[in-house]
Amino acid sequence: MAELLIENLHKRYGPVKAIDDVNIHVADGEFVTLLGPSGCGKSTTLGAIAGLDQPTSGRIRVGNKTYFDGEKAIFLPPEARNCGLVFQSYALWPHMTVYDNVVFPLKLRKVSTADCKRRVEESLALVEMERLQDRYPHQLSGGQQQRVALARTLVYQPEILLLDEPLSNLDAKLRDRARTWLAELRTRLGLTTIYVTHDQVEALALSDRIVVMNGGRISQIGSPQEIYTRPADSFVADFIGTTNFLSGDVVGAPDGDGQTLVSLADGQRILIKSDKRPSLGDKVTFAYRPEQMRLAAANDQTIGGSIIEADVVSHSYVGGRWQIGLSVGGNQIRIETQDATTDRQLRLWLPVTGGILFTDRNHGKSH
Amino acid sequence: MSLEASTTLRPASADALPKPLPGRDTVIQYGMALLTVGLIAAPLLPVLYQSILDRALYDSGQQLTLNNFGRLLRTDGFGLVIWNTLVFATLTTVISQTLGTLAAVLFGRTDMPFARLFGELFLWPIYLSALVLSFGWYTIYGPAGYLTLLIQSIFDGAPWNLYSLPGMAMIAGVSQAPVAYIYCMSSASITDPTLEEAARVAGAGTLRTLWRITLPLLMPAIAYSAVLNFTVGLELLAIPLVFGDPVGITVLTTFLYNNGVASARPDHGLVATAAVLMLAVVCVLVWLQGRLLGNTRRFVTLGGKATRPRPFRLNGLRWPLCTVAAIYITATVVMPIGALLLRAFTSLLSPMVPITEVLTLGNFTNMLEYPVYLRSIWNSFIVSTLGGVIATAMVALIAIIVLRSDFRWRGPLHYIALFPRAVPGVVAGVGFFYAFALVPGLGSLRNTIWILVAAFTMHFIPVGLGAVAPMLLQMSPDFDRAARTQGADWWTTSRRIVLPLLRPALVACFIILFITFFKEYTTAIFLFAPGSEVIGTTLLQAWTQGEVGLVSALATIQILVIGICVTAARAFLGVKLYG
Repeated sequence: MAELLIENLHKRYGPVKAIDDVNIHVADGEFVTLLGPSGCGKSTTLGAIAGLDQPTSGRIRVGNKTYFDGEKAIFLPPEARNCGLVFQSYALWPHMTVYDNVVFPLKLRKVSTADCKRRVEESLALVEMERLQDRYPHQLSGGQQQRVALARTLVYQPEILLLDEPLSNLDAKLRDRARTWLAELRTRLGLTTIYVTHDQVEALALSDRIVVMNGGRISQIGSPQEIYTRPADSFVADFIGTTNFLSGDVVGAPDGDGQTLVSLADGQRILIKSDKRPSLGDKVTFAYRPEQMRLAAANDQTIGGSIIEADVVSHSYVGGRWQIGLSVGGNQIRIETQDATTDRQLRLWLPVTGGILFTDRNHGKSH
Repeated sequence: MSLEASTTLRPASADALPKPLPGRDTVIQYGMALLTVGLIAAPLLPVLYQSILDRALYDSGQQLTLNNFGRLLRTDGFGLVIWNTLVFATLTTVISQTLGTLAAVLFGRTDMPFARLFGELFLWPIYLSALVLSFGWYTIYGPAGYLTLLIQSIFDGAPWNLYSLPGMAMIAGVSQAPVAYIYCMSSASITDPTLEEAARVAGAGTLRTLWRITLPLLMPAIAYSAVLNFTVGLELLAIPLVFGDPVGITVLTTFLYNNGVASARPDHGLVATAAVLMLAVVCVLVWLQGRLLGNTRRFVTLGGKATRPRPFRLNGLRWPLCTVAAIYITATVVMPIGALLLRAFTSLLSPMVPITEVLTLGNFTNMLEYPVYLRSIWNSFIVSTLGGVIATAMVALIAIIVLRSDFRWRGPLHYIALFPRAVPGVVAGVGFFYAFALVPGLGSLRNTIWILVAAFTMHFIPVGLGAVAPMLLQMSPDFDRAARTQGADWWTTSRRIVLPLLRPALVACFIILFITFFKEYTTAIFLFAPGSEVIGTTLLQAWTQGEVGLVSALATIQILVIGICVTAARAFLGVKLYG
C-alpha cells in the first residue's frame, strides 16, 4: 500500500518513442486507469512499473522504494519490487492446481505452512473460488481463471496492484458482471491500483482518475467526469464516448461571455460558449455528445442554442431507438431518436453551452 | 464474500520479500555459457592450432608455419580426393532430392494406394545409421550379395557395382532422401490448397498443375534440403569407408580417417589442415542454408490454414505407380534391412542354398564369446542413456538462457550453441582427439566413454535445441513474468515454472538424442580405445576383419533397439520424430 510516482518516463525502441515523457502521481489507495488505443504506451508503462520492461530514462518510485532511476542507474528486477500484476492472459501455471498457483508467492516468502493454508483459503474466499482449490486451470472457465489470477496476486499483499486488461478475455455478459464485482472489491480493499484498458466503459465505471494516453504521451489526466465533459483535446473527446465533430471558421470572435460564432462550410452559423478564445478567421473544431443534440421542435427559438439544417444520409434501427446519420456542411454526424423519420432533411437544435471547442488542427475524426 | 476475509487479508506487517541468493542467476548463466563455449571450442581450437604447426601439437619445439596448406595441396592424389568428394556429394544430392521430391508428391499428394505405409517405410533409413544401411545393401547388392548372385546366375554379371562413386552415391542418396521428403512434406502441408484449385479451375490438368504450381511452390524446401544433403554428402564417412576404400576411391572423410586414425605415423599437420579446409567449406554451406531460409518470403504461401489439400487423382496410373513405388521401397529399404536381419540368423545367405539349411543362432552365440561385442553394446547403452540425459540437461539450460532470460550474452550464446551444425563429425572427432591429448589432466578420461559423451554432446547440441526451442517459443512469456513479479528470481522461475512446463519437449529431446547417440559412429572412431568401444566402432572393426555374420548380428541389435525406441516414442508419448 503506497503511493506511486512516475517522473519523466521515456522508453525508446530505436527511433520509436513507446513512452514519451510520462508523469503520473497516484495517491495511496487510489485507483487510476491508463486508457488509450493499442500502441499508445499504456501496457509499456505498466510493464515499466512491474519491472518487465526497462525504460530508457526517468524515475519510478513506489512508497519510499525507488524502482527505477535512469540517472542513478537503478533498476530493480521484477522479483525485488513486490508488485501484484494480473495478466490479460491470467498466466495461471497449467501444471499446478488452483491451490498450488495461489500458494506459490507465499512459499517464496517462506510463510509457515499453517499460515499458507489459511491465507490461500481467505484469498480464494475473497474471489469466491474456495471450493475449486484442487482444480487445474484448464478445468476452469475464463471468469474463474480471472478470479484465481486475482487471488494469486492479492494473497501476498503487494505494494501496488497492476491490472492489465483483466476483463478483455471475457465475453460481453460476463465482462459486465466481472466489472461490477471488481468495482465492489476495489472499494473494499482500497489498494493502490493501476488498471490498463482500451475500454472506456470500464475506465469510466471503475476509476478514481483516468490517464488518457495517445502515441506514448499523456493526453489528459482527470476524474471520469472531467474526462467526459471537458476533454482536453479532440483525441480524448473522440476516444471517450460517442462524439460528433463539426468544423468551421470563426466569424464572430468570442465576446465577454466567451460566446464564439462559427460558420460551417455551407454558411450555417452556430453559437458556442467556451473558455477557449480563438481569433477571427481561425479554423476550429467543436464537438457535441449525441445526447446534447436533438431534433428541433417547430416552436424552438434560437435563444440558448443554434438551429441548423442537416441532410439525412442513413437511418437504422438499433433496438428501442433509431440511429440517424446526418451530413452537415461536409461533416458526418450521428444522433439517436425515438421515432423513425422519412424526411430527407432535419432541423437540429444545438445548445450554446456544453459543446466543446478545439483549436487544435488535427481532430481525431479517424473513423 | 465475507467482510472478515477482506480485513484479515491485510495484517499489520507485510511479508518479507523473498531474498534469493544474490547473483545466483548470473553465476548459473555465466557458468553455463562458459561450459558451452568451452565444449564447442574444445575440438575446434586444437584443430586450428595444429593446422599451423610444423609438427604434432604434443611434441616439443613446434614452430608456427603456413606450410601445411601448401603441403596438403601438393600431396599426391589430393586433387583426386577433392574431385571424388565433390562428385560423390553432388550425385548424392541429385539422387536424394529426386527421390525425396517424387516421394513427397506421390505419397503426400496423390490418391495412390498404400501411400501412408510407403511414406512410413520411406523414412526408415533416417532412423538407422548410414553404416548399417551400407551393410544391408552389401548383403543384397554386394559382389556376393543375394540379388547379385541371383542375377549373375541368369545373366552374365550384374549391372551394378557398389564399389564405385555412382554406387556409393546411390546408397547415400537413398539414406538421405527422407530429408528432402520431410522438408517437401512440411512445405506442402502449409501450402494453401486453393492455389492448386485455382489452377485447376483455370483449366490446367493434373500434370500441368503439378509442374507449374505444386513443384515451384516446393522449390524453397527442395533447395534448402539440397544444401543440407550436399553437406551430409561431404561429411559422410561410412559409405566411402565400406565401399570406396577397398578399391582406392578416397574422399575427404576417408582421407582424414586413413591419415589420422588408421595410419601408424599420422601426419597431424596434414590431417588438421584438411579438417580446417572441410570446416571452412561446411561453414559456407551452413551459412548458405541460413540465407536460403531467410529468402523464402518470395515463396511463402499465404493462407496457411490446416486444410488438407485435395489429392491429385492418378486415375489409370494409380496401380502402375503403386507397383513402381512398391518395387522401389522393397529394393532400397525392405530388402537391405530384411536381408541384414536374416543374415544375422543364418550362417550364409545365398540364392543357391535353401534358407532352412543355414538357419542358426550361431552369430549371436559367437558374439557372446568375445567380450568386445557385449562391452560395446553395454557402452552404447550407457553413452546413449547417460549422455542423452546430460546433453538434454545442457540443451534445456542453454535453451532457457538463450530464449528465456535477460542474460547479457544470450544472442552470441545462441549463435555459438548452433555452431556445431557447421562442424563435420570427422572434424569433431579429430578435434577432441587432439584436445584430450593436449590438455593435461584430461588424459585419464581418454580411454573412457566420457570422451565419447563429451564429443557426442558437443556435436548434437543443435539437434537437441531444435527439439526444445519450438515449444519454448510457443509458451507464453506471461508464465515466467507472473512468477517474476511475484518474487521469484530467474532460476526459481525456471526450475518451478518453465522447465516443468517444458517436460514434453525435454522427453522428445532425450529420445531423439538417445537414438542419435546410439547410432553415431563417425566421431567415435577417432576417439574410442580398447574398453570404450561402442556398437558403431565395433561394427566397423568387425567389418574390416570380414566377420559378416557378427556384423549382421550386432547391426540387428542396433536396429531392434532403435525400432523399439521409435515405435514406443511415437505410440505412447506422441513424440514427433523428424518433421
